[in-house]
Amino acid sequence: MAEPARQTEAILEVRGLHKHYPLTQGIVFKKQVGAVRAVDGVDLDLAAGETLGIVGESGCGKSTLARLLVHLERPTAGVIRYKGEDITKLSGRALKAVRRNIQMVFQDPYTSLNPRMTVGDIIGEPYEIHPEVAPKGDRRQKVQDLLDVVGLNPEYINRYPHQFSGGQRQRIGIARGLALQPEIIVADEPVSALDVSVQAQVVNLLDKLQNEFGLSYVFIAHDLSIVRHISDRVGVMYLGRIVEIGKDAEIYDHPTHPYTQALLSAVPVPDPTAREHRERILLTGDVPSPANIPSGCRFRTRCWKARQRCAQEVPLLAVPAVFRDDRSPAAHDSACHFAEEKHVVPLEPGPVT
Amino acid sequence: MTAAPASFEPSPALLEVRDLHVEFRTRDGVARAVNGVTYSVAEGETLAVLGESGSGKSVTAQAVMGILDMPPGRITGGEILFQGRDLLKLKEDERREVRGREMAMIFQDALSSLNPVLSVGEQLGEMFVVHRGMSRKDARNKAVELMDRVRIPAARERVGQYPHQFSGGMRQRIMIAMALALEPALIIADEPTTALDVTVQAQVMDLLAELQRELAMGLILITHDLGVVADVADRIAVMYAGRIVETAPVHDIYKAPAHPYTKGLLESIPRLDQKGQELYAIKGLPPNLLHIPPGCAFHPRCPLGRDMCRTDEPPLYDVPDGRGSACHFWQEAHHG
Repeated sequence: MAEPARQTEAILEVRGLHKHYPLTQGIVFKKQVGAVRAVDGVDLDLAAGETLGIVGESGCGKSTLARLLVHLERPTAGVIRYKGEDITKLSGRALKAVRRNIQMVFQDPYTSLNPRMTVGDIIGEPYEIHPEVAPKGDRRQKVQDLLDVVGLNPEYINRYPHQFSGGQRQRIGIARGLALQPEIIVADEPVSALDVSVQAQVVNLLDKLQNEFGLSYVFIAHDLSIVRHISDRVGVMYLGRIVEIGKDAEIYDHPTHPYTQALLSAVPVPDPTAREHRERILLTGDVPSPANIPSGCRFRTRCWKARQRCAQEVPLLAVPAVFRDDRSPAAHDSACHFAEEKHVVPLEPGPVT
Repeated sequence: MTAAPASFEPSPALLEVRDLHVEFRTRDGVARAVNGVTYSVAEGETLAVLGESGSGKSVTAQAVMGILDMPPGRITGGEILFQGRDLLKLKEDERREVRGREMAMIFQDALSSLNPVLSVGEQLGEMFVVHRGMSRKDARNKAVELMDRVRIPAARERVGQYPHQFSGGMRQRIMIAMALALEPALIIADEPTTALDVTVQAQVMDLLAELQRELAMGLILITHDLGVVADVADRIAVMYAGRIVETAPVHDIYKAPAHPYTKGLLESIPRLDQKGQELYAIKGLPPNLLHIPPGCAFHPRCPLGRDMCRTDEPPLYDVPDGRGSACHFWQEAHHG
């Protein structure tokens, strides 16, 4: 699970992915006056059996990225290669076949399930679209098996979503995602709507399913602790771009991008003793609007290290020159001209029990 | 402000809630949302009330503020003593005087708590017009002052803007400014940072803590996030199924929880500094308030549950160092 991703075959490759939503003015004669650059040049690889976590604040484009990956939106530019084949240009039957293999789990288990359908119909609906996966006679049995796999009682097949709690509904959403035996699951904030005690149950379930079915996950969340728990590699997004990406220990224990450092230092640690030993980086101001992205480095308006060069030159996502000959964990991709390593997460935690 | 054992019952208590019971009449029966909550807050103290959804933490706060929807809600017992006066015995107009002037509330969702068709200046100034009888012009100047105080940049230029023109973090600052306007003795903040991003959350929490220290207010911080609590609270009260199951100074509870529910909660959160194997998960689901289990409400999910737990409701046992735990077997939870 923890092998470096680059040596193994990438099941999903994303290059230069952009999604711009045009801003128009005028009612009869619409003219474009600008664009919301929700996703603005994302590169990433997902290896088979790997979990890639994507973290970022609201508005950074992580949900748009998820929708692009499962082809709910068409990108403005860029390619998404699934097993070497660019899926952004596909349509009709070829697209349908690819979609079967990339499924999504949504954030809100209250609105992503149709209240007028039974659980059996919800989980079985993918089979209507892809009848080759399960012939009609087998479907009920398949749905019951899925309910069992996600830890729900198979007898609940005729119940409606409102008869379930939030955690149980999310299990239904996961069962629906699994129905077509996909290889990749894109989960967009799958546990953020759940209570703490239930969150852990769902995270454990996702872990178990990955081992059982050899799934690859793209796990999108704003909660850095959960992302670390579940991910092999983590990418940090800011204003439509990945600013730092690497193995979980590289990002959490050896961050080199100032935004990652600020983000990590702001996470409340549930341990008052550990809190006293750490440095807090308080960012000033708010995230700029994606319709008006700063020139050069997009983080420079909130960065305490920003200099002239940051306004002129866009930093590339690569191993920074300072660390290039280094074998330390700090040598991972980071889009900053002035990258330096900084420990922000206290290394010696006070044990809870 | 470290909570020494002796300050467990700090005096003089600013607010004392005693054995409060609240229920809701619903079509399906009576939902018992609050079942005998007792807590107190001293001047300048921060009490965190921690619980999951449906634990009764917000309902208790609404009862204290006097903004509970009645009906369907009903306060069926208990006292809420604020500076020695029982708020539940006051008339509505007297209650109104207390609210705003003496105690104020900050809500989770700033966008829906602010009026979208009034400028923030008008909304902030309204406090002074209504409670202090100021002129509109003076009230507007006061509004600018308040916005400066919560560090909204360019306050004078932005005072005429509308809520949608502010970012989430700025709107929450406006909510804080509004709560502080009349310098109340007590502030109740109900999930003040839940809707915000981590970097903004840290800014807002810091601001709130700083203003609280400056004005020596009592603060009740309602949250489900154990991390936020660790940063600012003096004491914690953990709620489950409408009761307080554990109360302790903040440092102690993280080091050695004395209730299996608290313990389970602490173990079930993934940590930033560790990559664990499997997360500990509390089995089962939070109780349905229409059918709270008899005895200890937590027993169906509890690893320590025994026969006694099914029949006898545990009182809040005294735990050394000024703590309390509503578990028959707290010693096991505490030391085991």
